[in-house]
Amino acid sequence: MTVELDMVTDSAPARSVDPRRGRRSERNGGRRAARREPYLLMFPALLVMAALFLFPAVYNTVLAFQELTPYQSPGDATWAGGDNFVALFTNPATGSAAFNTAFWLTGVTVVVRLVFGLALAVVLQSAILERWRVRGLARTLVLVPWMVPPVVAVAAWRWMLDGNTGVINQTLVSLGLLDQGVPFLAQTSTVWFAVDAIIVWRELPFVVIVLMAGLQSIPKEQYEAAQLDSAGRWQQFLNVTLPNLRPVITVVILMTVIATFNNFVYVWLATGGGPGTYTQVLATQLYSTAFIGNDLGGGAAIGIVMTAVMAVFAVVYLRASNTVGKDER
Amino acid sequence: MTAQTVDALPGAPRTRAASTGRMRKRRDAGTRRPSDLLLLVPLFIVLALIVFPVFWMIFTSLRPERALTGALEWGTVFDGLGFDSYRRLFAGSNFGLYIVNSLVVALVSTAITVVIASVAAYALSRFRFRFRGPVLLAVVATQLLPFVVLITPIYLVFSQLGLLNSYVGLTVVYVAMTLPLAIYLMMGYFNTIPHGLDEAARIDGCSTVSVIFRVIMPIAWPGIVTVTVTSFIASWEEFLFAGVLMTDETKKTVQVGLSGFFGEYATDWGVVMAASVVAAVPTIVLFTTIQKRLVAGMAAGSVKE
Repeated sequence: MTVELDMVTDSAPARSVDPRRGRRSERNGGRRAARREPYLLMFPALLVMAALFLFPAVYNTVLAFQELTPYQSPGDATWAGGDNFVALFTNPATGSAAFNTAFWLTGVTVVVRLVFGLALAVVLQSAILERWRVRGLARTLVLVPWMVPPVVAVAAWRWMLDGNTGVINQTLVSLGLLDQGVPFLAQTSTVWFAVDAIIVWRELPFVVIVLMAGLQSIPKEQYEAAQLDSAGRWQQFLNVTLPNLRPVITVVILMTVIATFNNFVYVWLATGGGPGTYTQVLATQLYSTAFIGNDLGGGAAIGIVMTAVMAVFAVVYLRASNTVGKDER
Repeated sequence: MTAQTVDALPGAPRTRAASTGRMRKRRDAGTRRPSDLLLLVPLFIVLALIVFPVFWMIFTSLRPERALTGALEWGTVFDGLGFDSYRRLFAGSNFGLYIVNSLVVALVSTAITVVIASVAAYALSRFRFRFRGPVLLAVVATQLLPFVVLITPIYLVFSQLGLLNSYVGLTVVYVAMTLPLAIYLMMGYFNTIPHGLDEAARIDGCSTVSVIFRVIMPIAWPGIVTVTVTSFIASWEEFLFAGVLMTDETKKTVQVGLSGFFGEYATDWGVVMAASVVAAVPTIVLFTTIQKRLVAGMAAGSVKE
């Protein structure tokens, strides 16, 4: 998305369609054809996107006001008015899922990723790594979690976190730190820390990579000027690095918030929303309501709420990216 | 942002940071100090912890079944390594079939995405037309749309069209899922190609479509490779839609099949880790072969999980 930011707003070096440049034989008919040409070229893409994004989004809004099970055909749906929303907002589980989504799933993991990511990015940029010729190696190792699919990440961590034979418990027990294994993902006191560990582990590389790109774009002269003022490392970080990184950090926060808020796979595969419904988030509640509770209308209503929250973030995001790559036109 | 953009465009000249970096390496190569280790040792301990889960996954998949159920004996941890878990995986499940399903859907959807996206990206790169702004905005907006919200309506529509448990259905979903990012990346690559080439080809009598496929695409091949790999990985890794739309045992994808293995009560972790390794091999291989180019593309694509 960072790549895109510039492109949305920049004045790409394309030229306007000039029908006079068309082939001479088409002088009259060619004018209209040339004007239609970009639309023809984009037609397949727009068709797919309209069918798989626009139509479902509209249909989801209709569905939110209907009552329907997965085993009925859409024609059998009955109108429910605002019942689905009333049921959603009076359900005590909704408040807890909303809190879990905002705090445990998104808030905590984004902050932790940002802090660790910034630390790692700064260290990886250090001249020391270049001196020892290990920057490439270090960069590749940081990327490793990103190379495995999310489902695999959850599988690997569930095995490591296993209450009896998992390597984490076995190590803690053999070091005498624990008397017996802890079922990290099955008890309420530890489950969110375990889930967040999985998310942070898998999604950290992205933050590091984007922040490293941001660090590379800071002019060296600014650090030299700070050194002339005999600023220490920490002061250089506070007064040169952070202010320069601010736009990048803003974009990283928005991108990770948007991606994590909607995420389904980590919580669903790590805990299934359990123990009980303790780790239920909006995305898993949507899925459970629609496909396990057989209430497609109720699921659609949750989708409307999620879309509304995302729309706010999307507007903030587009504004922020606009100020980052300011339009020159 | 500038560095990011330049990274993403392989045709563009190297950034200043990259070239001065190379010079500094030559100059400082001899001046390694012992105090450097105060940074390097903690760093590589952290990196070892970051890599450990993947190492442990591969290692577990090679250990004998009986070693995984009892206490972990560090003294004999390397005893009896072999491929028995992989044998149990392929003998005891339809995992081979899942691989075929995943490959078919990911490969076909990737091919379609690349073709559709490059044509659309050419239009956005070379033409200024009335709805260019709105189209670009729509492309970004689809990236921001909560994907999970689409699952209910798409499930219903597909059930009506007979597209559940069908390669066609899931392929179409993956084309849509990978298209917005592909269009954007491709537009960036096309913007770096001089317009004079198009015009020369046009004077030679090429139509727009043959300009795209005969002139532009061969020049933009590094970008095409990036888009291809990014799209393939996204489709290969996808879980939610595959899980909802492909429930038939013979139509499951690798990720969905794998998730079924560790949902069971008596989990055979050797088999789960073997399946995990197999599920991760394509992404790890693709990632490492074109890492540098991919990083920019994946950084861009990560908005959508």
